Amino acid sequence: MAGEVTRTPDENLESLIKEADTLKARLEDERLKLNDVTLSHVAERLDMISLLNVKPRRVLRGHQAKVLCSDWCADKRHIVSSSQDGKMIIWDAFTTNKEHAVTMPTTWVMACAYAPSGNLVACGGLDNKVTVYSLTSGENVSSQNVSSQKKTVGTHTSYMSCCTFPNSDQQILTGSGDSTCALWDVESGQMLQNFHGHTGDVMALDLAPSEIGNTFVSGSCDKMVLIWDMRTGHCVQSFEGHQSDINSVKFHPSGDAVATGSDDSTCRLFDLRADKEVAVYTKESIIFGVNSVDFSVSGRLLFAGYNDYTVNVWDTLKCTRVSLLIGHENRVSCLQVSPDGTALSTGSWDCTLRIWA
Amino acid sequence: MDMMISNLQQQRQVTEQLRREAAIKRISVSQAVADIMKFISDHEQEDCLVVGFSSEKANPFREKSSCILL
Repeated sequence: MAGEVTRTPDENLESLIKEADTLKARLEDERLKLNDVTLSHVAERLDMISLLNVKPRRVLRGHQAKVLCSDWCADKRHIVSSSQDGKMIIWDAFTTNKEHAVTMPTTWVMACAYAPSGNLVACGGLDNKVTVYSLTSGENVSSQNVSSQKKTVGTHTSYMSCCTFPNSDQQILTGSGDSTCALWDVESGQMLQNFHGHTGDVMALDLAPSEIGNTFVSGSCDKMVLIWDMRTGHCVQSFEGHQSDINSVKFHPSGDAVATGSDDSTCRLFDLRADKEVAVYTKESIIFGVNSVDFSVSGRLLFAGYNDYTVNVWDTLKCTRVSLLIGHENRVSCLQVSPDGTALSTGSWDCTLRIWA
Repeated sequence: MDMMISNLQQQRQVTEQLRREAAIKRISVSQAVADIMKFISDHEQEDCLVVGFSSEKANPFREKSSCILL
């Protein structure tokens, strides 16, 4: 142990603290120096978005308790959702039919995700586990069958709050209340990489659009947004600004920015290349927390689901609210734009999911 | 002693993280914002939730007139 300390004789606690302070000041300085305009100012000359013609189109009923998470299938038609009652349901969003319903051996299934192929779904929550279910065996798979084709891939030391398949069916990325993220191999159940850096529960993660490849973003109850390199396990960038828990993070379709939603009732936009916050989406009348955010395909709109049962639609450039989607009768817990950008799904504590288009 | 070493290790991690972040190449906000705006204007015509559908028939979630949704 003594050897560990003496190996780097000039690197003592004081010098490290001093260097950290210098670096912090330099970072602050440099970010400030490049902060030459505001987004809303530059966007002033743009046309306003005309009144949105987005209407409620479908209501998916079947969950017996709060809907906590949902994910679109790549086929733009099916949705997987998970609920506080321990159920996971696969929906045909066109017909509103339930194609499968799986009962998990836990309540609060906080996360679920479709694999890119559409043949697998992953879910988990208070059981601390990520479990994969296969949906492949033909047209009319009974729920019994789906339950029997399950496999536990990974286990955290606290609840699993979010999961996603990074570009293939072979791996799953998870975030947890144990303040870490982890990358798992689906076949072997091996942990391929873990990501330490947050000092609070990880609530959300999102992959960078595919061209960027190996980067993802996480948001946490420590109020921090961290950008990670999946190969090295290193945190490459961090953003602060939120005053409370971050519940949702999403990459801008350009891959150059991330949006966040927080209990502090704001959404924010952080630019990776400017290395700073570039917008705050807030209004005096909005005082409830944000649970979920997603962009329209161009990135012009940001949809945000709130604890006051509404979805606010923000113009990401002008930083103004362009619309309000009203329909849910309890908190909006999750929302996601469909893969082709034609529809928005929302899930709520009112036990329903809704499709808007 | 253990406390001191763990403090030192923790501080080393913090400092190393800051070194990595300080080494990032940054661009000005005006440049970043211009790039975001360009991306959006290049893709806005494909964004059905912004520009709508060319016809109501193109909307996969339109209500079909012949059937009643219960």
